[in-house]
Amino acid sequence: MKRRDFFKLSIATSTALMAESLPKMQTKKPIDNREVSTVAFPQKRPLITYSDRPPLLETPREVFTTAITPNNELFVRWHMSNIPTHFDLESYYIHVHGEVKERLYLTVDALKKEFEAVEVTATMQCGGNSRSAFSPTTHGIQWGSGAMGCSIYKGARLKDVLAKAGLMPEATWITLNGDDKAVMSKIESFKRELKISEISDDTIIAYEQNGEEIPFLNGFPVRLVIPGLYSDSWVKMLTNINVTKEYKHYYYMDKAYRVPDNACECERPSQKAQKTKPLEQMNVKSYIGYPTSKTQLHAKANLTIKGVAFDAGYGIKSVMISLDKGASWESATLEEELSPYAFRVFSYKLRPMHKGELTIMAKAINNRGEEQPFAKDIAWNHGGYKYNGIDSVTVTIL
Amino acid sequence: MKQIILLLSLFFSLYASDIRDVNKTSITFSIPTDKNLIVMQRNCQWCHSYGYILNQGRQNREFWHKLVIRMREVYKAPISPRDELLATEYLTKHFGVKE
Repeated sequence: MKRRDFFKLSIATSTALMAESLPKMQTKKPIDNREVSTVAFPQKRPLITYSDRPPLLETPREVFTTAITPNNELFVRWHMSNIPTHFDLESYYIHVHGEVKERLYLTVDALKKEFEAVEVTATMQCGGNSRSAFSPTTHGIQWGSGAMGCSIYKGARLKDVLAKAGLMPEATWITLNGDDKAVMSKIESFKRELKISEISDDTIIAYEQNGEEIPFLNGFPVRLVIPGLYSDSWVKMLTNINVTKEYKHYYYMDKAYRVPDNACECERPSQKAQKTKPLEQMNVKSYIGYPTSKTQLHAKANLTIKGVAFDAGYGIKSVMISLDKGASWESATLEEELSPYAFRVFSYKLRPMHKGELTIMAKAINNRGEEQPFAKDIAWNHGGYKYNGIDSVTVTIL
Repeated sequence: MKQIILLLSLFFSLYASDIRDVNKTSITFSIPTDKNLIVMQRNCQWCHSYGYILNQGRQNREFWHKLVIRMREVYKAPISPRDELLATEYLTKHFGVKE
């Protein structure tokens, strides 16, 4: 089948899929600007708080006006409730073992001294970010759009660590897990797997975030950073790297964080896709940080819209702004690109002339020509993953 | 003498260590009170806060029932067959959708 035919078929499939179940399946705007908590977690300012055990914290909209998300405002997502709170860096180590010539026990100090230090500025985004957009409601925490952020990470290349251990000829996969554990001891810990041949040079074991130690809730003392990919495999408090000959079929690989393996990555609630695939590369997305839906502005006063855009690392080509609900679009100004994986700040100046409500929309387009769809055109998937609809805020002009 | 050396070496090893302690934050998430609240208290809180329930969104009975079973089968929550039904009833009543 030619690519064009495949594309036609996928459009036909998704159109049929949507027509059949339109009354029930209607993706809308994600829940916007929930109230932040009155309680601050360690090293964090008060954030939108879904749970304390395990901790789940979301960054509010107004933070997304800068390329770098401050450490105390970066979102938090853990799977397991038993997270160590006592650290002795003399005895904390990453155990590298399995199909290697030499087993390693790497302390944070060894990671800093024995490997080249690499800096990567990258966007981290939960695969379920903006999940509240999907209807019918999918399984999982109903995130707004703040389960993302961009940081400057410093650490050692994962490839360099594996090279030091020396891979055996049949080494093909690695299993990674952190020091967080489930309450019930029989539960498998949060194990993720990466194919060795797919590990990029930018994938690092980070020990610094924005020039500081990694915050406790973001995975102190070391976490994996895989630029361009959704953060399901960015293992926090990394303690274990097991090199294996074969894929191991762990629960969090085979059951969680998967989308339908078809062109539209979509399915019907009553007929879930049989074949699924991991989330992997992030879709192109933008998000307005200012103004927010709570902003009140005066007519004829200057307004500068600001926000961030990103994709999987192909780079942002443009961000378009619409003030007429998508009928016409104009280019926003893009600030410097810190890295292809980083938030790219955009801005757009205007002077609202009329009193009443004004809806501002933002749409990012990347260097591959991929652009954000309208929310209503995003088809449903069972996990509510990979939402990247055009963002909008409605402000009041006084 | 041996004891003094032991104490001194212990002191220096502690001094040399790079130790960090973090205080966890605890928040109370309230869920509705009814006769079955006790079922939630004895089954759910082992592993997660009620925030996990409150932030799943509204769901139908089938969803909640499957989720309760998954909590037992995958996450090993000690949910009896009787509590499985009562928890499903509670969740559907308070966090359900019209079917």
